[in-house]
Amino acid sequence: PADTPDAAQARARRAPAPVTDVAKLCVCDLLVAQCDTNCCCDPDCSAEDFSLFTTCSVPVVTGDSQLCSQKAAVYSLDVDANPPERIFKLIDQVNPSIFCIHATNYKEAVYLKSPEIPTAENFDQFLDKFGGATFSAEPDSWNLDTDAQNPPDANETYRYEYGVPVQTEDAFLRLPSPVVSSWCSDANPAGFLVNQATKCIRSVSVEKCDSIQALSMLFYINSSILAVPKSSQMVNITVQSIVVQSQNGMRTLLNSSDVLRLPMVLDGLCINAVLGVNYHITHTDTGEIIEAAAAFVLGAISKEALSIEQSFEVSFTQENTQPVPFSGNPGYVVGLPVRAGFWPQGYPFPAGFLSNKHNQLTILQSTSTQDCLAAQGARAPVLFGYNMVSGCKLRITAAMKCQPLAQTLLDVLKGQSFPEYVASFGNSQAQDVLDWVPITQLHISEQMISNTLQSSCQIPVSLGIEVKWTKYGSLVNPQARIVNVTATITTTTLKQLPSGRERIIPVTSSVVFTDISSPAEPSYKAWPTINIKLPFDFFYPFV
Amino acid sequence: SSQLSSLPLQILLYVNGIYYIFYFLATLAMIIYKSQVFSYPDDFLAPDLAVLFLMAILEVPRLYLGFKGNLTEAEAPLGLSLGLTVGSVVLCVYLLLWQTYVLWADVLLNALLLSAYGLESGLKVTAIAAFVS
Repeated sequence: PADTPDAAQARARRAPAPVTDVAKLCVCDLLVAQCDTNCCCDPDCSAEDFSLFTTCSVPVVTGDSQLCSQKAAVYSLDVDANPPERIFKLIDQVNPSIFCIHATNYKEAVYLKSPEIPTAENFDQFLDKFGGATFSAEPDSWNLDTDAQNPPDANETYRYEYGVPVQTEDAFLRLPSPVVSSWCSDANPAGFLVNQATKCIRSVSVEKCDSIQALSMLFYINSSILAVPKSSQMVNITVQSIVVQSQNGMRTLLNSSDVLRLPMVLDGLCINAVLGVNYHITHTDTGEIIEAAAAFVLGAISKEALSIEQSFEVSFTQENTQPVPFSGNPGYVVGLPVRAGFWPQGYPFPAGFLSNKHNQLTILQSTSTQDCLAAQGARAPVLFGYNMVSGCKLRITAAMKCQPLAQTLLDVLKGQSFPEYVASFGNSQAQDVLDWVPITQLHISEQMISNTLQSSCQIPVSLGIEVKWTKYGSLVNPQARIVNVTATITTTTLKQLPSGRERIIPVTSSVVFTDISSPAEPSYKAWPTINIKLPFDFFYPFV
Repeated sequence: SSQLSSLPLQILLYVNGIYYIFYFLATLAMIIYKSQVFSYPDDFLAPDLAVLFLMAILEVPRLYLGFKGNLTEAEAPLGLSLGLTVGSVVLCVYLLLWQTYVLWADVLLNALLLSAYGLESGLKVTAIAAFVS
């Protein structure tokens, strides 16, 4: 009785022995204790089952075919017999090549390696390697201690590449994010040039306010970032701004952001707890980080709160450029806003465009009240590829004057600063003048056939923006490029109303995207021409 | 006749020399082929290569002493050559039986070499007996 637990343990430690006898191997035997159809090697099948088969899905089972001579199990169906029966033959298959393997003294040569079974001795090693929530195929690449083994070449210059974790003094720049569940995991590195925004939940309590590291500003800025991987050049993370969020959600920007505010307990609240961090990292075009700044949102945790939601963001900007959000690189991506701007006044033309506040083309946004005059200011960005229609209702009374009404409606339709140019590519820079497409403005007036008086009032009632775009670039990866933008204002005559009466007219605006890309035409290489010139005196005696 | 040098031994030594060059190049090429096609870790590759090169190093003095001993009708170099042949036989048996991968071509080449060694050894013993007496 004393040795049975040991024996059982010993059995449990060994993996099941691999089956190498070809007569017993069956690849198609998938169902346990049931006959698989058309599987001639299945031991669960009886003679009646075999008589119903049409073919053998696995005709031959052999070992490694590079051996000189090996056993092979051949299964076939004899369809001529009545009923059809299965034929099983064990033959010796001979490899006729002179380079067949006669014998090997290396066991793993022809068999798969048995996996390591965890035992009491190697369990800790396995736990270190595989025990975390995530494990990578090459965990040593993040461990800077391994540099001692291969010292970097003096002539080799490292630089950050897209997606490489941003390294800091001790490990890497952490961007806590939810892994598997919504709880924050601190093991997520920020990748270079990967703009990320994450939100996760952290469990807190007011008693442990100053002992939880992730609530303090110091945790996020104390280790400096390495300018290039594996170098000794450090970039300190500066505090760009601190915003304090009150209990009811109102945020205030603090004037002085150089004072480090650490969490502490005050009046039963844990104040100066970090609710959000926004990293802004500036880099050169050779993959070197030159500046890093962090903007914090601090808040207070009340006694009843068991968890708080933290949000983190990291964004990368190249030095000496304005961070303009691209709507595609280079072609427009469906769903991203169409970029637009103005040509600033002045002669000679200064280089560059000014853009309206959000660099976007905007359209009137329908509101729940549907009243045009009350809805002034609500605008929605035009997203590439999304046709939109919006509108509102205008109540006209007799007292309204024509000209101010027309001007108001034009403001409602076009917005405060309607752009003059639209970027043709999603990543068009403001300096490249040729990359911007002018907006063509058209006026159509709806006139009653009978009423041809030009002096009557014309008010704009609809704005239609038609964006024509084409596919540009390679056939395999076409990029969307805006070619033409036309804004059509339709005006209608405003008839004078008798006093006391009022009319409601609908005002609409729409955006339509039309694909005008011409179909790709195949082109053929020109047939080679034979260019033979006969010599001058070829026909000598006769000419 | 007064000539004691063994002609068959001389012919066999000469042919052995030419065959050995072919054998060395073929076995080296096959080891390279095996290392590319099969899984051949460095721990297993190193001993096989070492044995092959050691055998090549032994073969040169072995053949030279054999030629010299037979032509000068001296038994000392011939005896030394016989001793070196024993070492070569051991290495040849290793390559025949205990190599990491023994291909069919390996079996043929090594069997041929072993039979040549065996025949040589017999002829050397006869020659030594003839010289001594």
